[in-house]
Amino acid sequence: MTPTTAAETVRLTIDGQTVTVPKGTLVIEAARQVGVMVPHFCYHPKLAPVANCRMCLVEVEKVPKLQTACSTPVAEGMVIRTATTVVNEAHKSVLEFILANHPLDCPVCDQGGRCDLQDYSHQYTPTTSRFIEVKRVYQKEYFSPLIEKQMNRCVQCQRCVRYCDQVMDVNALAPINRGTMTEIKSFADHPLDCEFCGGCVQICPVGAITSRLSMYEFRPWMLKRAETTCAYCGDGCSITLQTKGNDLIEVMSAQGVGRNNGDLCARGFFGYHVSTHADRLKHPLIRRDGKLVETTWEEALEYVAENAMRIKMAHGGQAFAGLIASRCTNEELYVFQKFMRLAIGTNKLDSSARYGHVNGVRALRHVQGTHRWTVTFEDIAKAEALLLVGTNVTEANPITGLKVKEAVKKNLATLITIEALQPAIGTISNIANLSAHHFGTHPDRFHAVALGLIKALIEENLVAKPLVQRAPAFVKAIGDAVKTLTWPAIEREIGSPVAAVKDAARAFQKTSRAVILVGPGVLRQPGGAGLMTTLLDLLLLSGHHGLAGCGVAPLAEENNDQGAIEMGATAEYLPGPAELGDPAARQRLAQLWKEEPANAPARTLLEILDEARASTVKAMFVVGENPAGSLPPAAKSKEAMEKLDLLVCQELFLTETAALAHVVLPACSYAEKDGTFTNSEGHVQPVRRAIEPLGESRPDWEILSALSVLMGTPLEYGDAKEITNEIRSLIPGHGLLGAGPTPPKPDDATVTKYLTEGFRADLSARYALSKTDWPAGEFTLVSQQSLFHSGKFSTRSKGLLQIQSTGSLALNSTDAARMGLADGGRVRLSNQQGEMTTTVKTQDRVPEGMAVFPEHFDQELRHLTGMAVDPQTGVPYCKTVRVRIAKA
Amino acid sequence: MATYELVLLKNMMQPGYAGSLKDYENAGGYQALKKVLGKIAPGDVTQTVMKSGLRGRGGAGFPTGVKWNFLPKDYKGPKYLCCNADESEPGTFKDRQLMERDPHQVLEGIIIACYAIGAETAYIYIRGEFVLGSQILDKAVAEARAAGYLGKNLLGSGVNIQIHVHRGAGAYICGEETALLESLEGKRGLPRVKPPFPATSGLYGKPTVINNVETLANLPHIINRGPDWFASIGSPPKSTGTRIFCVSGHVKRPGNYELPMGVTLRELVYEHAGGMRSDKPLKALIPGGASAPFLTPQHLDVKLDFESVAAAGSMLGSGGVTVMEEGTSMVWAALRLTEFFYHESCGKCSPCREGSSWLTQTLRRILAKRGRMEDLETLTQLCQNIAGRTICAFGDAEVSPIMSTLQHWRHEYEELIREAEAHREKELPIAEARH
Repeated sequence: MTPTTAAETVRLTIDGQTVTVPKGTLVIEAARQVGVMVPHFCYHPKLAPVANCRMCLVEVEKVPKLQTACSTPVAEGMVIRTATTVVNEAHKSVLEFILANHPLDCPVCDQGGRCDLQDYSHQYTPTTSRFIEVKRVYQKEYFSPLIEKQMNRCVQCQRCVRYCDQVMDVNALAPINRGTMTEIKSFADHPLDCEFCGGCVQICPVGAITSRLSMYEFRPWMLKRAETTCAYCGDGCSITLQTKGNDLIEVMSAQGVGRNNGDLCARGFFGYHVSTHADRLKHPLIRRDGKLVETTWEEALEYVAENAMRIKMAHGGQAFAGLIASRCTNEELYVFQKFMRLAIGTNKLDSSARYGHVNGVRALRHVQGTHRWTVTFEDIAKAEALLLVGTNVTEANPITGLKVKEAVKKNLATLITIEALQPAIGTISNIANLSAHHFGTHPDRFHAVALGLIKALIEENLVAKPLVQRAPAFVKAIGDAVKTLTWPAIEREIGSPVAAVKDAARAFQKTSRAVILVGPGVLRQPGGAGLMTTLLDLLLLSGHHGLAGCGVAPLAEENNDQGAIEMGATAEYLPGPAELGDPAARQRLAQLWKEEPANAPARTLLEILDEARASTVKAMFVVGENPAGSLPPAAKSKEAMEKLDLLVCQELFLTETAALAHVVLPACSYAEKDGTFTNSEGHVQPVRRAIEPLGESRPDWEILSALSVLMGTPLEYGDAKEITNEIRSLIPGHGLLGAGPTPPKPDDATVTKYLTEGFRADLSARYALSKTDWPAGEFTLVSQQSLFHSGKFSTRSKGLLQIQSTGSLALNSTDAARMGLADGGRVRLSNQQGEMTTTVKTQDRVPEGMAVFPEHFDQELRHLTGMAVDPQTGVPYCKTVRVRIAKA
Repeated sequence: MATYELVLLKNMMQPGYAGSLKDYENAGGYQALKKVLGKIAPGDVTQTVMKSGLRGRGGAGFPTGVKWNFLPKDYKGPKYLCCNADESEPGTFKDRQLMERDPHQVLEGIIIACYAIGAETAYIYIRGEFVLGSQILDKAVAEARAAGYLGKNLLGSGVNIQIHVHRGAGAYICGEETALLESLEGKRGLPRVKPPFPATSGLYGKPTVINNVETLANLPHIINRGPDWFASIGSPPKSTGTRIFCVSGHVKRPGNYELPMGVTLRELVYEHAGGMRSDKPLKALIPGGASAPFLTPQHLDVKLDFESVAAAGSMLGSGGVTVMEEGTSMVWAALRLTEFFYHESCGKCSPCREGSSWLTQTLRRILAKRGRMEDLETLTQLCQNIAGRTICAFGDAEVSPIMSTLQHWRHEYEELIREAEAHREKELPIAEARH
């Protein structure tokens, strides 16, 4: 906040320059503002000052001793001198101490060239050392396959330890021993078991902690930098891809930059090698005699265009369908849907936003008329109450998770969690450990907790008075609906006492800033669309809805799920998004495109597969999407693909789907192209080319554009920027909006409509408890995201595979003990669909009666999963299955 | 030999006194508490202590009542009292005796202090090696609780006070008050950056007072006999009361001597401690624990009060007086203490962490007759670069043996170095590098 009155600011003089700064500012930061850089190692704006390196000593007038600029807050009229002889001598002497035992191994140190110690040494120290004693020598150690630790280079600033505690809340690192023998170690010197966020590597001012992924491959000044956006989850972290030649060398993220403010997760920091994986497709492939063989772009494109035209002449545009991965850029998603709706003439198209994010956006549009969050990451950090529902937040959206940690740890927010995983001692990255009100239950019963909270609000007379006046019918209808649910029934279903529910409801209601985060445990589970709406009901009833900094925020699992919907790459939405049948939107498109988009029915993912099996759809364009690999056998996607007369895949790798194609066109990864991604918050951020396209690969939009030319409906663009401009001209407010997003406000008319009538549609379905009772002895097996992978994409990253290379079944130790299982023991999972065997890893954060398996390694597991399709939103649900587990 | 009235050591010097609650009560114990509880307003207790002139006996000598007064007045949440029983200063062993021989005297002092500052919880942070002391204190706390001197509603006054005895894990630095707090909170015992001072943000971030054992043990006597009585002992107005001087080294009768402040070093060494053990002349002494700079025979007439010792270039510190006779190598003595500080440096801040090992290695080299004249200049500069540049006072303490021996006995260093130079035929490598 910008201070407005003199009482909140302080005037001081630093090296003769007068500066006015907010009260409480540290001298080191005030100095920075007037361009005076006080040397330091231990100070970092993210961390509480410890003043242990003593490098930032400065003179403060009227104070006899030198003071550390990093820990001294400014005071009115203070006079600071940072460049006197005394100060200079102090800096020199501290450096002399730090360098005394330093090995001066800069030539073999990856930090050489960007090392604070090197820079200050250059700035201050004589060329010879007075230290002639025996140097302290530590052996080099490996924190893990990914991180090297060289204690000889350490300056004991403790930044790594403090970051791991204060920002990550992991506490994987700690100093051991005393005095000059102090060493940074992982807990009990075990191999590092942490979130592998890479924060310790990034925050180390010297070369004590370095990444082993590109060790000795570069000197920092050789690296070219591309400021881009991470392509894994919906958090949309700003990253700097550093490259040498056409090799990706490392990922950095600068403090103060991007939505992540320099923080990253394992995927972002260590997962960058996917783009340059040896299995990348480098040439177009065409099917000859049943086999895919290399060919030229000319032949491949002509084959596709010719056959597509033939099918279109014979059967019309309705014989076509298209699928696109929401990992693509906005520009590619836009061109794809334009290609389908205009060049081909069909609305049978879908993107991977269908796997869940559509549920979130659909509910937001339905209740409040927005397609984006009404909050930002900053609002999460500043929230007084946070309700997390099925988020698994650290694993699925790690940086959103950091905002939650910040809210709870720094700002003392009340955290309420409705999550499958429970708090447990000795577990890292477990958000439930920070929870004040935790409700642990199986994903198909999350809605029962939400209903309990609503019932508590109503019974405890906590419903916001303005809402009662504005929408008495709504409040009454909800009140009547929850009256039919009895507390004993709710308690039985959620396994928590009614008092706990009431406490949580009260704690939530009494705050003035509340945010509800909704994750894959809701959006990708049966009833997800309904529960999203119910959570909006909760926010309406508690009176937070519409207030600044409050809202329901569905988290996007893939980097551009939000963009896919906004770009019109889902069947039911035109760019905007606007409803497919919206006459005004169609009118605008017709003007821009010079032709009206297809006036034909929308078909979503599962409907498309059905039509392909029925041969109504005869040709498909699949861009980066892999239904044969990601849907369970119950979806019969392979059978559908095999029936097609023409299957064209644009891919990075030869996936299960691409292997069935007639033509496979090699596409560029995010590191090789320009464009934009839109993150969960609705912030549109740049994607920039870091390396040249591998082999003959081309950006997806370029391929689609080339095909459109050959097919006689040219969609021609000179570069991605031209597409961005077209999108901007179509969607007001889309585009790069500066450092952070400006969230929309709920649309009053839509809210009123919802409160008077809209809520009724599925009220009885939403306000009901589950009917099913599970047979004893069965487990609920949840296939969910691991912190170290993102979909199947990251399983080609050599860095991440070194952290997690296979899937194992996580079980509560009590369950495991009952079956006589220890870590690494084999189990057989079985149900009506089939069976599989795997190994066990006990984790007490998994509650009894539940089992968790990482979805990235679920090839076998998928044979056990059935599939349900949401009747309203067409979202396929296949993440949870009931199984029997026995020792194998 | 002049004799003085014992105050703190009085009970334990009585024949048959075992330090039990009964013994203590029979000797008039817990009368001060009864006098205070519910009868004198807490603020007035603080005023009494201020009036008595009582200053901290741990080393820094800060006025106790003033320290108490720093606590925020209108603070509603919990406040804490920590009794600093981490007595680890080399040459200091007074608190140990107070705790082991007359534990209730300490407890009564703690309870009175808690009452004065409004703390319901006190922690005795006792040095880890004091196993016996901690057992005795545990027993004494149990006795006091059973007798109603601790717990809820003390003696019907409505005041609640608890005492917990917490053993440290063996680090000298935990005697530094903020490191003590960190350790008590279960963290690594490293000093905190000040401000904030413990009075506003101490244990668990709450207002906290940390007082030494001997300081607290004085409180019952100040209450019983009045501040004026206390202020009349010693060298008023600034150094009042008695001190327990811990005499060690080359004297005939090493031990604890409770004397009014202001007696001379000569009286302490030659009268009370019986003089030099082998009748060799006194060569050097440390007046206030290892952190205090060395003094010479010329300082024997310095009065043992805060101001006089400071004026002589040292400090009264913890009252640990170490005496060295003629023939003692002062380089060796400096090394011995420097090695102690090297071993105990917590490693938090750079100058002390790296400097302590550097100083130790250089001194060892000089003593092993491998020194060079320029080493003396380096030693001096290193000491200057450590002192005043660290987070806590440890930095100042660790350089004092070297600085003061270099000041008074520089020739001993030079002799060792000249010997080294005589043996050095040509420039030889100073030390072999290990890889």
